[in-house]
Amino acid sequence: MASEPADDRSGALLEEEQRLVEEAQSGHLDAMRPLLERYAQPLYGAVILPRLGDTATAEEVLRDTLATAVEKIGRFTWQGKSIYPWLRQIAIHKVYDVHRQAKRSRKLADAMVHEVPAESDPASHADSQLIADEERRAHRARIDDTLARIADRYRVAIELRIVQELPREECAQRLAITVGTFDVLLFRAVRAFRKQFGGSDD
Amino acid sequence: MTDHNDDYLAGPVPEPDAEASAAERAHAKTFAELVDKTLAGRMPAAMSADDRALVEVATVIRAASGEVELPVARRHAAVEDALRQAVGGAGSAATTAGAIAKLPRTRRWAPWAVAGASSLVAAAALAMLWLRAPRVVEHVVPAAPREAQVPASWRSRPSDALVGRIERDRAGDAATRIDTIFADRLDGYRERRLVGGEP
Repeated sequence: MASEPADDRSGALLEEEQRLVEEAQSGHLDAMRPLLERYAQPLYGAVILPRLGDTATAEEVLRDTLATAVEKIGRFTWQGKSIYPWLRQIAIHKVYDVHRQAKRSRKLADAMVHEVPAESDPASHADSQLIADEERRAHRARIDDTLARIADRYRVAIELRIVQELPREECAQRLAITVGTFDVLLFRAVRAFRKQFGGSDD
Repeated sequence: MTDHNDDYLAGPVPEPDAEASAAERAHAKTFAELVDKTLAGRMPAAMSADDRALVEVATVIRAASGEVELPVARRHAAVEDALRQAVGGAGSAATTAGAIAKLPRTRRWAPWAVAGASSLVAAAALAMLWLRAPRVVEHVVPAAPREAQVPASWRSRPSDALVGRIERDRAGDAATRIDTIFADRLDGYRERRLVGGEP
């Protein structure tokens, strides 16, 4: 019973999405605008940025993804599910192209992109929010798994400064060390994390 | 910005409690400042490749741990760029042409209709200016030739001949002289009005 309003809303959104896609496919490309606005953030926050780590490049990839989507909307076939998985697939291919060009991050790409087929089940009817949440959980699980393999003090430094985003001074205070010592700890922690995560090229 | 001789990305990572060299401390401080800026949403464009690699790892951790928002203005800009690029910009020529060809007839003609109407309004304004210009010239320019053609008595009526030499015994009779001059000028005015001249 409690899920009925949510189901109704989801159904209405899907109907609206289908109408907008059909309008775009008949030539009204402006009809894409609400769809792009709706999915730009999940694409950026859950798909592109966690795989790139560079905000400027992530924004460029988002632009490319949306432009490709508008250009190729004629090839999209409506199958009774959201357009989001299709957009996500375009974004992942763009991310992979960026990693291929930057050999420095090849292993990072391998770590993040090889999971794609499992996440992009074409038969999935889940809505965009569910997919984005699931994707974020998967990323977080990989991060936790890596954090578990580095020294405790490194894990704590990363948790305090990068996950909780506490100021350096407060991080140092909590660990009862100077700010300079905390800087060294964080520097080593990120290097250790990178080696375990697959970003090291050595 | 940083000392790149230590090749710190490739080398082993020291234990957490190992003593740091002065170079490592300096590098750690630089990295800490880069992280500060990145967390504040101002990821610096310029940094060494090694620093960038570490900042990217930090951003990946952060993005996977919570929602990193793309500012609304930048999101709008990305959407607008995508639409513009697909319809009239840097997209592939075939796709762009196809997309434009698919636009409804009214939307394809709308820019031409606006441009045509604007041209017509501009042409009408120029024509009006051109038609009105001669009247202005006719009204202003003839003043000089007409002034040259009117009699000298219409332009100036010296009073010396009317008053003549003022004798000492009539010096106090100024009212009479003024009346004479006024009557003469009144004559000139009537003469000019009666022959059709302007007052």
